Amino acid sequence: MSSFLDREVTIAPAGFNRFLVPPAALAVHLSIGQAYAFSTFNLPLTKLIGITHSAPSDWKLTDVGWTFSIAIVLLGLSAAVFGRWVERVGPRKSMFVSALCFGGGFLVAAVGIHFHQIWLLYLGYGVLGGCGLGIGYISPVSTLIKWFPDRPGMATGMAIMGFGGGALIAAPLSLLLMEHFKTATSTGVLETFVTMGVIYFMYMMIGVIAVRVPAPDWKPAGWIASKRPQALVTNANVAVDMAWQTPQFWLLWGVLCMNVTAGIGVLGQASPMIQEIFSGRVTPSAAAGFVGLLSLFNMGGRFVWAATSDYIGRRNTYMIFFLLGILLYSAVPSLGHLQTTALFVAAFAVILSMYGGGFATIPAYLRDVFGTMQVGAIHGRLLTAWSVAGVLGPVLVNYIRQFQIDHGVPKAQAYSITMYIMCGLLLVGFLCNLAMRPVNERYHYGVPEPAT
Amino acid sequence: MNFRAIVLWVAVLVPLLWGVMKTLQNALKLFA
Repeated sequence: MSSFLDREVTIAPAGFNRFLVPPAALAVHLSIGQAYAFSTFNLPLTKLIGITHSAPSDWKLTDVGWTFSIAIVLLGLSAAVFGRWVERVGPRKSMFVSALCFGGGFLVAAVGIHFHQIWLLYLGYGVLGGCGLGIGYISPVSTLIKWFPDRPGMATGMAIMGFGGGALIAAPLSLLLMEHFKTATSTGVLETFVTMGVIYFMYMMIGVIAVRVPAPDWKPAGWIASKRPQALVTNANVAVDMAWQTPQFWLLWGVLCMNVTAGIGVLGQASPMIQEIFSGRVTPSAAAGFVGLLSLFNMGGRFVWAATSDYIGRRNTYMIFFLLGILLYSAVPSLGHLQTTALFVAAFAVILSMYGGGFATIPAYLRDVFGTMQVGAIHGRLLTAWSVAGVLGPVLVNYIRQFQIDHGVPKAQAYSITMYIMCGLLLVGFLCNLAMRPVNERYHYGVPEPAT
Repeated sequence: MNFRAIVLWVAVLVPLLWGVMKTLQNALKLFA
């Protein structure tokens, strides 16, 4: 007996409007994108007992900070581990499991807040929520690529844009809810977690109900696959277990890791960085505005760059990311020295648009190189690069800054070396991208391995 | 675009637009 969640039940009937699928994917990505706004809970979680101040028995900020790190590591791991399962069961069942994990994660974390047990916060939001993030992130990707063979970059860009935009909704929503539930005896975080768990589960269910997969022989009306051979675009398929034995997988892993490392470190330090470089001219409130602006460009870049890659090619798109990135990062120390806020903000806005663009363009790049057959699972494994970059980027920025300050460098100039190191990372990414060649035919699905 | 597609797009874009507006309000402080 087939259930509502089975892949067979989700096969779209003839005449189905394919533009119903991107909003289904967006519903999931806008929800799980909340993760980027978890920091809004950091301080309130350290005042659960003291309410107005942090009591000695309250959780420390460093302890609370681990919740987000666990969630991001679990995102990468679950995407890698469950990628093939997601391909097999289809988007509806995987989106449903993601909604259960993500919404349920909030509820388990709320129990942890109620009993003041931090391991339950880690288990709920970190482990369970992290699995929801990973499964939810890859769930719609291969479905969108199959629905939009003519514009795969635009389609996946639309969904992954949601992950960037999720924080723009979650940050004000969390503050609004905490303010609403706050009393003399409660910070309102517990009630906010329960409410958000329920809201996000229901919102993700919109995606679960709306999503459809195309029939195996479906093609957009009037669209004919290009017969003209294009560099780095294959009509063949590579299975996930074969894909990660190819040099191309690891080159793309390097491309994503370097692009993300360069952006994520800056994103995490954006607020103190602009205040220290423009000391006395940028207030904490204006710095928060800067962070918001970067989030907007991070989100917009996901759609704009991924859609552009359909016209200029994936390889060229990443070439722009790396070359323009090197140019802008190397200009930042001078812009800081010149004290030109507008140019400084503009440079980082473009950098962050390319950070988001890197995330959104990679699924289409994988599809070009490895075919559509198991692109979701391959994408899942590639996301381990994000987990590594999530640790590497902030560590590089924070530790180098601290090292500089400890050695007497003024705070305003403590970021210069970091920017040049970012240029070095982008150069590595550029070389990885430059080395990309089509996958050897012996890795193609259905091609027998040569006798040895 | 049929009616269902429009409803679905509105359902996902309205919260996003709300978030974008709130963020822009904050971002304007940078140039105030």
